[in-house]
Amino acid sequence: MADTENTAAPKKEGRPVITRRALCVGLGGTAALLGLGAVRYAGSAPLVRPPGGQDEEALVSACIRCEKCYEVCPRGVIAPAHLEDGILNMRTPVMNFDANWCDWCTEENGGEPLCVASCPTEALKAGSTPETGVLGVAELNQDLCLAYRLIGCRFCYDACQFEAMELDENNRPYVIADACNGCGACESVCVSLQNGSISAGATERAIIVRPLES
Amino acid sequence: MNTKRLRTIIPLAVIGVIGVGFATHVGVGTLSAIGWQDISLLCPLGALATMIATKTLLPRAVISVVIALALILLFARAFCGWVCPVPVVSKIRGIFSKKTSNTDMTGTGVLPAEDNPLVKAAKGSKADSVADAADDADTADAAALAADAPAPLSADEQAALSGCGHSCSSCAEKRATLDSRHVILGGSLLSAAVFGFPVFCLICPIGLTFATIVLVMRLFAFGDVAWGVILVPALLLAEVVFFRKWCSTFCPISALMSLVGKANRTFVPAIDNAKCRESAQGTSCEVCAAVCPQGINVRHPEAGMSFSECTKCRACVEACPTRAITMPFLPKKAAPSTVVVEDDETVPAA
Repeated sequence: MADTENTAAPKKEGRPVITRRALCVGLGGTAALLGLGAVRYAGSAPLVRPPGGQDEEALVSACIRCEKCYEVCPRGVIAPAHLEDGILNMRTPVMNFDANWCDWCTEENGGEPLCVASCPTEALKAGSTPETGVLGVAELNQDLCLAYRLIGCRFCYDACQFEAMELDENNRPYVIADACNGCGACESVCVSLQNGSISAGATERAIIVRPLES
Repeated sequence: MNTKRLRTIIPLAVIGVIGVGFATHVGVGTLSAIGWQDISLLCPLGALATMIATKTLLPRAVISVVIALALILLFARAFCGWVCPVPVVSKIRGIFSKKTSNTDMTGTGVLPAEDNPLVKAAKGSKADSVADAADDADTADAAALAADAPAPLSADEQAALSGCGHSCSSCAEKRATLDSRHVILGGSLLSAAVFGFPVFCLICPIGLTFATIVLVMRLFAFGDVAWGVILVPALLLAEVVFFRKWCSTFCPISALMSLVGKANRTFVPAIDNAKCRESAQGTSCEVCAAVCPQGINVRHPEAGMSFSECTKCRACVEACPTRAITMPFLPKKAAPSTVVVEDDETVPAA
C-alpha cells in the first residue's frame, strides 16, 4: 500500500489511495492491535471450560467473545472469564458451579449441550458427552470440608451421579479422580462456605472442580 | 416520529432484547452472533478473523460472511446508522462536552442542524418564498425575495464546488480511496493471523457494550464482583470519548462495510432536479451536504465522501428544504439528473 498522497492532483486522475495522515493513524492502530495480540504469549492459568472447550489453544483461537454460550446455558453455569484470568481469557466462557452444575444438557436437550450447538465459531467442539468429556476434576479440601470435622455432611457424595465419590470408614467423602468428569454437581451443593462459624476464614468451597492441567 | 429519534430507539431496543435474552436464556445472541439458538449471523469481521486465526473454514462463519456481504450490498453502512449501539453509547460524550452535543459519531461529524448556518439560511429563505407565494406575489415581493434569496452561484463558486479546493487536506482525505479504518481492518486480520486469535474482538466497542450489560447483570444477579465490571465499561467509554471519530477513523467493521458498500446501488439518495434549489432555481443551497453526518455531498458527490459511506440515515432527505431528495430502492434509469448513479468510486485507483 503505497502512500500516494497527492493533494494537488486534479480529481479522478490523481485520486490518492490514502493520505499520509490516514496511513499513519491506521498503522498506529495496527501496531496497537499487534501489541495487544502479544497477550497470547503472556501465559494464562488453565480454566474449567464448557463441554468441547477443553482444547485451550483452539478455544482461544476461535472464540469471538460473542457471549452466546453463556446466554443459552439453561442452567446458567457458563460465565464470562474475568480479567483476573488473563486479558486473553477475558470474556471467554468458564464454568461457574456456584448454583448449578452441567449435565451436558441431558435433561434440557437430550444430551447435546446447547452451548456447543450454539457456538457459531466451533470454539466449543461437538462430541463431548458426560461419559467422554472431562471438564475438570473435583478436588476436596479436607481443611474446609465439614465432614472432616465429623459433622456428617455428605451432600457432595449424594449429588454425584457418576460414581466419582466414595465415603470412607468415617463417612467422609473423597473423590475418585479417574471417574470424575468435572460436572460440578458436588461443588454446587457444597455448604461449607455457608457455615462461616465452622470453616471460618475460608474463601472457597471445600470441594471445587479444578481445571485438568493445573 | 423522525428518523433521528428512531435511530436511537432501535439500538436501545436491540440492547433491550439482548438483555432480556440474557435474563431468560432464550439464545438470541448478541450482535456478534445474533440469531436464534444454534442459528447465528456472525459479525463478518469476527467470522473472517476466527477463520484466519484457526486456519479452518467454518460453515457457519462462511454462510454468515456471505449473508453479511449481501446485506451490505443492499444497505451499505445502514448498520452503523440504525443498529450499532456504539453511536448511542457515544451520546454519553455529551456529559463531558456540552458544546458538541449533537455530532453523530458514525461519520466525520457535522454541526447540529439547528446551528448550521447553511441550514438556517436555507430554511429562512424557504420561509420567505412560502410567505411570498401566499402573498400572491407581485413585483415588489418578487424583488424582496430576490434580495433575500442567496445569489446564484458564480462561476468560481461552481468550480470550487465541483472541483473541491485543491489545497485543502480534508478534501484530500475525502477523495482518498482508503482511509485509516481500512488499514486497521487489514491490521485486525493480520493480527488474527499472526497471533492465532481474533485480537480486535478483545476491544471491539460493540462487543464491549454487550459485555458491560452482561457484567452488570451478573453483578446484580449473582454478586459477581470483578475488575471487569469497571474496566470493560471504562475501555468502552475511552474508545468513544477519547476517539471521538471512532466509527469513521478506527472501526474496521465500518471499513469492511464501506469497502463492500462501494458496490451498493440501492437506497442511494437521489435528487429530483426539478425540485432541487440548485438545479431548478440556480441558487446555492448545500443543506444536504451540511447535514450529512458522513460528509457526503448529495448534490455534488465529487466534493464529498463516497456514497459507500452512506448509513441511510435519511438526514439529507429530511433536511432538504424542497423535499427534492428521495432514497429509491433502485436508481432511476436514464435520468441525467441522478448525479448519484455515476459513482466515481468505481474508477480503479491509480
